[in-house]
Amino acid sequence: MLTAVKNQMRVCALAVKYNIMREMLNKVTFLTNILFMMFNNATFIVQWVILLRLREDVGGYTMRDVMLLWGLAASSFGLSRLLFSRVFSLPELIINGKLDAYLVQPKNVLLSVMTSATSASAIGDLAYGLLLVCIFCFSVKRLLLFLLFTVTGALIMTAFALLMGSLTFWFVRAEMFASHMVSSTISFATYPDGIFKGAARFLLYHLIPVGMAIYHPVHIMIAFDGRKLLAVLGYLVLLSAAAVFVFYRGLRRYSSSSLMQSGRV
Amino acid sequence: MRKYVVIYQSVLMENLQYTANIAMGFISYLILIFVFIHLWEYMYAAPGDLIAGYTKAQMIWYVMITEMIWFGARSSTIREQVSADIRGGNIAYLVNKPYRYPLYILAKYTGEWNIQLPMYAGLTAVIGITMVGEIPDFHWITLVAAVPCIVLGMTIHAVFKLCIGMLSFWIEDANPFQWLYDKLILVVGTIFPVEIFPAALQPVLKLTPIYTVCYGPAKLIVDFSAGKYLEILLAQMLYLAFGSVILFWIYEKGGRKLYVNGG
Repeated sequence: MLTAVKNQMRVCALAVKYNIMREMLNKVTFLTNILFMMFNNATFIVQWVILLRLREDVGGYTMRDVMLLWGLAASSFGLSRLLFSRVFSLPELIINGKLDAYLVQPKNVLLSVMTSATSASAIGDLAYGLLLVCIFCFSVKRLLLFLLFTVTGALIMTAFALLMGSLTFWFVRAEMFASHMVSSTISFATYPDGIFKGAARFLLYHLIPVGMAIYHPVHIMIAFDGRKLLAVLGYLVLLSAAAVFVFYRGLRRYSSSSLMQSGRV
Repeated sequence: MRKYVVIYQSVLMENLQYTANIAMGFISYLILIFVFIHLWEYMYAAPGDLIAGYTKAQMIWYVMITEMIWFGARSSTIREQVSADIRGGNIAYLVNKPYRYPLYILAKYTGEWNIQLPMYAGLTAVIGITMVGEIPDFHWITLVAAVPCIVLGMTIHAVFKLCIGMLSFWIEDANPFQWLYDKLILVVGTIFPVEIFPAALQPVLKLTPIYTVCYGPAKLIVDFSAGKYLEILLAQMLYLAFGSVILFWIYEKGGRKLYVNGG
């Protein structure tokens, strides 16, 4: 059992490694993608400088807190796209019958799908987040927590994208719905939770997983709270289990698009 | 000219078949507007406050209109097709057709936004009136006056996106430049009116596409004045002329770099 897990992890690591090497074939494009993604993210600093000129804090967040929030959102999303980019295009694979190639592999189907692509610009997101935390609010303890929450945030975002994407097994229109739901996570993740109240706040902590992926971790990094940490870890386990369950239930409904007939295989 | 009208009409008819797909994009728009309404409600401590001369209602309407323009102008034709045609070699076939390639793309894009924008405009009106209330001192005539500014703004946006897309003649992937342009419009243009920036920066911002694409049309709808109207129209016409010259210059220059591998 342990050997099988070890082998599977090795295959996943190799898949990610070769994905990145493939992206690096054109080095200029690879580096441009990374650097411009960092510039792209940095433009939002202008927004927060303007807003924080108008008020001392926004939703209880000072500039330092906002940078922590932005850093964690960028790093989590970056890590998720770097390792599991294919999850974000899962609906396309399902609709076009492109899961066939993964079903015949002698390894875990879900992990093979998840690790079959990467995004060079995701490295820019990941690096940008780390850079922000080092520049604006560095301490060893905070950096270690930041790394931990980058991993949990990335896993929560991946699980949410998997859950939403798997709905395409049942509904074709779920493709666009899933894409909007995932992008909404990023929209919310870059604004302080203090500006949302009532039902909106409830949704962000329960239905859309921004609260557990980003807001709670930021609160913990500002003032450590063990209960919140347990809540984040518990939520991660539950959401991941639900996403894997829904994917495999949906996979039973999957039917091939007969690529053999079109001469493409 | 007639051939471009035919292209425009065919894309318009095609898009009319996919209104349900366009409506799915409402989800992202609604979420963003939801965030911005909460943000500006927080920023305005009291309902009577003024920020950069805008009341809370004016500010939220301003953001909703700029986002409406942004979502209405979303088009894979100007964002992806140009780069894909150049990178994939399809441009070699398209340049031989009896039309100018940039005008062909512009005709397609116009057919797309002519369906999208009115749909987003309807949604914006409904959300705005139900969640924010009417625009203070709004007159219907200002909306009619703003239409040419919106049309010019949408076209200027496409011209600049095409210029960036055509950089693919030289670099393999022009996407990173698209991100930067998009963020310039999104972060600086859609969220804040120009007046909110420090006085020293405002003349600089008026020279960027932000002034003609987002700020101009939205400002006229929320706070119309005849002087501002003429100033914005003039700026848009100058911008369009300048952008078109750049576009055709890049196209001619890039076309000379084109080589065909066969196949």
